[in-house]
Amino acid sequence: MTVMLLVKDLIYRHQVKRTLFTKPECFELGPINFEVYRGQTLAVIGHNGSGKTLLAKALVGGVTPQQGEIILDGESLAQNERQTRNQDIRLILQHSKNALNPAVTIGSILNQTLVLNTSLDEKDRYAKIEQTLVKVGLLREHYFFYKHMLSDGQQQRVALARALILDPKVIVADEPFAALDPSVRSQTVNLILDIQQDLGLAFIYISQNLGIVRHISDSVMVMDKGKIIESGATNEVFCHPSKEVTEKLISSHFNLVDKHFEQLG
Amino acid sequence: MPLLDIKNLTLEIESGSEKVKALDKVSLVVNEGEIRALVGESGSGKSLIVRAIIGAIPDHWKITADRLTWKGQNLLSMSQEKRRVIMRREIAVVFQDPTSSLDPLVTLGEQLEESIPAEFVVKGNYWQRKKQKREITISLLHKVGIKEHDACMKRFPHEIPSDITQKFMIAMALVSEPEILIADDPTRSMESTTKNQILKLLTRLNETKNLAILFVSHDLLAISSMSHAMTVLYCGQTVESGKVKHLLRRPLHPYTKALLDSAPSFQVNLPPKSHLTTLDGTIPTLQHLPIGCRLGPRCPSARKECVKVPESRNIQNHSYSCHFPLHMPTSGQGQAKEQTDQHVSAKEHAGASEKEAYVKFNEDIDGPPT
Amino acid sequence: MAQFNLYQEEFHPSPIMHIWLEFKRSHFALVGFAILVLFCVIALISPFIAPYDPSLQNTNTLLLPPSWTSNGSIAHLFGTDTLGRDVFSRMLYASRTTFGASVLLVIIALLIGVALGSLAGMSKGVKSSILNHLLDSLLAIPTLLIAIIIVAILGTGLINSMLAIILALIPQFVHQTRNFVREEMKKDYILLDRLDGASSLRIFWHSVLPSMFELLAIQSTIALSVAIIDISALGFLNLGAQGDVIELGAALSQSLEAAYVAPWLVAIPGMCIFLMVLSVNIVGEGLRSALRNRLNH
Repeated sequence: MTVMLLVKDLIYRHQVKRTLFTKPECFELGPINFEVYRGQTLAVIGHNGSGKTLLAKALVGGVTPQQGEIILDGESLAQNERQTRNQDIRLILQHSKNALNPAVTIGSILNQTLVLNTSLDEKDRYAKIEQTLVKVGLLREHYFFYKHMLSDGQQQRVALARALILDPKVIVADEPFAALDPSVRSQTVNLILDIQQDLGLAFIYISQNLGIVRHISDSVMVMDKGKIIESGATNEVFCHPSKEVTEKLISSHFNLVDKHFEQLG
Repeated sequence: MPLLDIKNLTLEIESGSEKVKALDKVSLVVNEGEIRALVGESGSGKSLIVRAIIGAIPDHWKITADRLTWKGQNLLSMSQEKRRVIMRREIAVVFQDPTSSLDPLVTLGEQLEESIPAEFVVKGNYWQRKKQKREITISLLHKVGIKEHDACMKRFPHEIPSDITQKFMIAMALVSEPEILIADDPTRSMESTTKNQILKLLTRLNETKNLAILFVSHDLLAISSMSHAMTVLYCGQTVESGKVKHLLRRPLHPYTKALLDSAPSFQVNLPPKSHLTTLDGTIPTLQHLPIGCRLGPRCPSARKECVKVPESRNIQNHSYSCHFPLHMPTSGQGQAKEQTDQHVSAKEHAGASEKEAYVKFNEDIDGPPT
Repeated sequence: MAQFNLYQEEFHPSPIMHIWLEFKRSHFALVGFAILVLFCVIALISPFIAPYDPSLQNTNTLLLPPSWTSNGSIAHLFGTDTLGRDVFSRMLYASRTTFGASVLLVIIALLIGVALGSLAGMSKGVKSSILNHLLDSLLAIPTLLIAIIIVAILGTGLINSMLAIILALIPQFVHQTRNFVREEMKKDYILLDRLDGASSLRIFWHSVLPSMFELLAIQSTIALSVAIIDISALGFLNLGAQGDVIELGAALSQSLEAAYVAPWLVAIPGMCIFLMVLSVNIVGEGLRSALRNRLNH
């Protein structure tokens, strides 16, 4: 299996200045080392505040790490190479009120992404947008729709379309299913699994929902206070957690599952 | 007598210029000491039901029900005063986002002391009463599992992590020693350790104080781990209702089955990275509600009879509204049709053969039939 | 009453169309809008419809009452003033001056204020903060007072008074725009735009500005009503339009001496100002409730 993304010794120090006079609090993320293979999903789990979202931002280029290397498909990504960075690693965020701009059409959002990153002319852009909309399960007419005309699931599909439209190699998703209803969540999970299989994407996925994590990820990484404390194949980590934090997380989920099976008798 | 008895509650709201039935003949019963879950996705009307119970419905919405009673007293025909007294002392509500339910400018201790009913602290002068209030506050905080009560009481809502704030909200709800706690999605967007703590707390309260709980959520994991009974709602219609054991084992309505399928942890033999079984389509909006059974357009076993709203049928306290329920021989449908041909009013109890099959299936968890 | 839909397709309007449809529901707001449109039309075509030359003095018809009284004549619809000039024509020209000048100066103040506010909102740091708080402190002073002070420095005249009012209105636009832009920049979709490689200017033009229209529309109506009153006030105090430039406030102050003899000379300019400000405020209020309610339908 080819390694799609390799991260070496990534360190990012995040300074939070509370007031003018106190010393700024420093949150150190790293050193982070991991690799993701083509067509595989890596899940990142951990408590709130363990640095998962910061890691996501560092991977897609939202923040500049002080140290470390990100090697994508054999080539090292320098921070100034925004172009390739934008195209090859894309971000999907949690569904919320502010995930999509309510004042512009879906088509113009996707169009902007294409204009800034490719040199296609207008006709080609339009065709590409239509193709992507169909790929994520929306209709061609959704080009002209505004955000308020779409349901939650459809809005999340638009976010996926925005990530896919540049044909990336890796998609980083920060809690994409968190605010969705169960039925919509299942549909979105199925969609992502299909797309991953078709396009061979590597998928890095941050989540709190351990049931879904267990189902869709090949390997799991547990983070705590900015460091990776455990990582490995999903089954391994879930069945034999070695660290206390991991154990607590996993048992709190499976406690509920066990009680469910108790009810069934 | 059940604590809360709702039968055929219908709520008509105005959407645009037409009237839409946001709740269509919803029925729900909560008995003493029971934890009942109200399951539904967005658009199912579960928050509307909570508001109808509390009385927070705008006047121009039409609300009708065969029964909407609290301990036998009709809530719809009650005066505002009486309703407020009941809301204050006997029913308590906890909402979703704990930080936004609290006054951001007042410390937590003050807010809790403020909400203690006057009847609890009568004896003594001002200072003695203050002391009593403080004692009540501290004991409540301990009861919900907040050990460092001093630190908690001095702080403001935004300074406390969300799990402690939600426990604090439950403490505030318990202040008046209610008989039922209505929890409107209290564990939404919480991580699993926090969720576990809140659920454990609710179970403990139910066991020690015999507190009935109406737990509204769409998180099946949370519900199946602690509820005794559940009612499933889809687009304002009750689709299935009964003991959690029975529903989890053999869901009779396709929608209940779809909800259970959406949690991969519930399926033992699901191969990793395989498709989850889902219903096609999306939840209809208020403006485009289907006629008859509202799951019709999405249901895999829908047929032309489904344009009529199915009646609610009952087998041993497990009620369902479906023309073609799962796991049931279709003779039930034929029998019902015969009855209507003979102009008998809608039958609530299913046919004998189905009842037999049902009882047999559930023998191991219910015990042999008496 | 059910809506009768002739077409099967859904009707999906853009956000701006949504606002207009919601605005139309209130009949009150539509009346205000009609009056506003009337004033715009007057501002544009009054030289062509005025029956007389407004500065034509006719000593034969001094202080003629308006046509609806018993002594008036239809030749002079609103009567004549102390110098025999036709009041109706004067009102047309004066409304044109007052309304036209107000609209113009609101547009200029808007452009400058939004530019400054957006720059401040998109940049971080202490410098932008200081500039804004200085401008915010100006918000505490009534615009009329600021305008009078500036006119005292620059001198009287219509252009100077317009300049003064523009300067007095800019802080409001800067403040509102800066707050709005700052809030917008924190949103997730702006982060995604940045990750796509959009420059700050592009983000502003394509992502922030479309959401800003509503805020600007409301701010402009407020600013317009303030501008109309201030221009008239400056004219009344003889600090604004001078000489033969006809303006409602100036006309009002000139008619004060003859107020007891010819009350219509005071009432009619006053009514014009009143109607202008009323219509602007009603339209503003209608816009605000349309924006609040549009997502309900």
